[in-house]
Amino acid sequence: MASLSPARRWFAVVATASTLALTTACGVGQSDDADTGSSADDSSQDAGSGGDGGSGTSEGSGTFTAGTYDAEGGYTSPGGEQSVTVEATIAEDGTIEEIEVTPGATDPTSERYQGQFADGIADEVVGQPIDGLDVSVVSGSSLTSGGFNAAIEDIIAEAQA
Amino acid sequence: MEDGGWTFEAIGTRWRISTEVPLTSTVVRAVALRVDAFDRDWSRFRAGSVVDAVRAGAGRHRMPDDAGPLLDLYDRLHAATGGAMSPAVGDGLEHLGYDAAYSLRPRPGHRPAADWAAVRWEPPHLVTTEPFVLDVGAAGKGYLADLVADVVVRTQREEGASGAVTVDASGDLVHRAAPGATGGTGSAGAAGLRVALEHPERPGYAVGVATLSGVGAATALCGSATNRRTWGDGVHHVLDARTGAPVDGVLATWVVAGSALVADGLATALFLLDPDDAAALAGDLGASYVRLDRGPTGSGHRLLVSPDFPGEVFA
Repeated sequence: MASLSPARRWFAVVATASTLALTTACGVGQSDDADTGSSADDSSQDAGSGGDGGSGTSEGSGTFTAGTYDAEGGYTSPGGEQSVTVEATIAEDGTIEEIEVTPGATDPTSERYQGQFADGIADEVVGQPIDGLDVSVVSGSSLTSGGFNAAIEDIIAEAQA
Repeated sequence: MEDGGWTFEAIGTRWRISTEVPLTSTVVRAVALRVDAFDRDWSRFRAGSVVDAVRAGAGRHRMPDDAGPLLDLYDRLHAATGGAMSPAVGDGLEHLGYDAAYSLRPRPGHRPAADWAAVRWEPPHLVTTEPFVLDVGAAGKGYLADLVADVVVRTQREEGASGAVTVDASGDLVHRAAPGATGGTGSAGAAGLRVALEHPERPGYAVGVATLSGVGAATALCGSATNRRTWGDGVHHVLDARTGAPVDGVLATWVVAGSALVADGLATALFLLDPDDAAALAGDLGASYVRLDRGPTGSGHRLLVSPDFPGEVFA
């Protein structure tokens, strides 16, 4: 999925280890095969030269500036300092449309951990409007047992009486 | 594909059955009988159930004929969680007010579960050494979804019909492709059932979409969220049986597996495991999952996704 506007790079990226791509593809009526995985992206490869970016020109007047953002993060695991690289495509309403995480770990334990959960980096999981997703069924919190809901309503009514 | 849908209420929730071949009154009747028998046998909320007998006293209790797979799964999850998941958790739930009357008034403190390891399963008897409140709510609904799908497929076959069947127990799903369908990508008309994974804190928003092909390990999906049933600050229905206290930190789980029994049970077990143990258990059970955690600092989120999860995630 192409980015919506020219990529802005906060930190340039050198892809090292294997890449776990998570293509989310938003939008109405989107019907691509829902495959996660594969696809080493060109955008993070061509950032290759390293360096410490900071060239982002995020104007944006209160709303989000659509575009592709890269960032590199580190954390300390029992195996030492580890790093991951994240590239995200963000729409104007702030929805993250695509996120790609590249583990930079060398410690075997951490690599396994990151490989399994490399897509677990987002600070705030925003999600996408279900209306636009072309799904047949919803599994989630708005579906609750009728009896339970009725009991809760009773208690609220009692509390207000 | 979605012709012949039938919606009904059972075991306290809304069910919908959609079939490629329209349902006949024979199938509807067979399903109704199956659901009623399950509810009579297992409900914590109905007099005369096996739950009543186990609650009344220690001894040898004749279990329903369908008990085997359910108790076997609970045994496995009990062991894998170090006792945190247990079908003896009913006392802890009732202590917090989640009882037959839905009183929803938590008593002070928490009540640990009776020791499930001391209970012996000698089919068809459950041998108990102390009374306790049996609660199979963490896997029972999924199991019933499997059983209902079985009944639909079998009864339709007896009628000379076959086709795809979807059983939706309010988000706990069994989707079985028509016999002979490959269900994989690339075969026309077999794209599978797309299921939105609703964000527990943002109704109307999804954290991802799962695609059930209807064959193999992508036949069933079950989800669990602690804020789905909350009746007080931090009071909900997923307890650590060892302490009787509601768990914190995990907000929601969705599991895709070969059966809704496994998917449902694992969806609860995932609340009770650290990420590495969760991944190992899912692998052992041939299941994949998405888990939404609270962020490490208490704000924000953290999304854990199996590499083989059949679908997309909007992290």
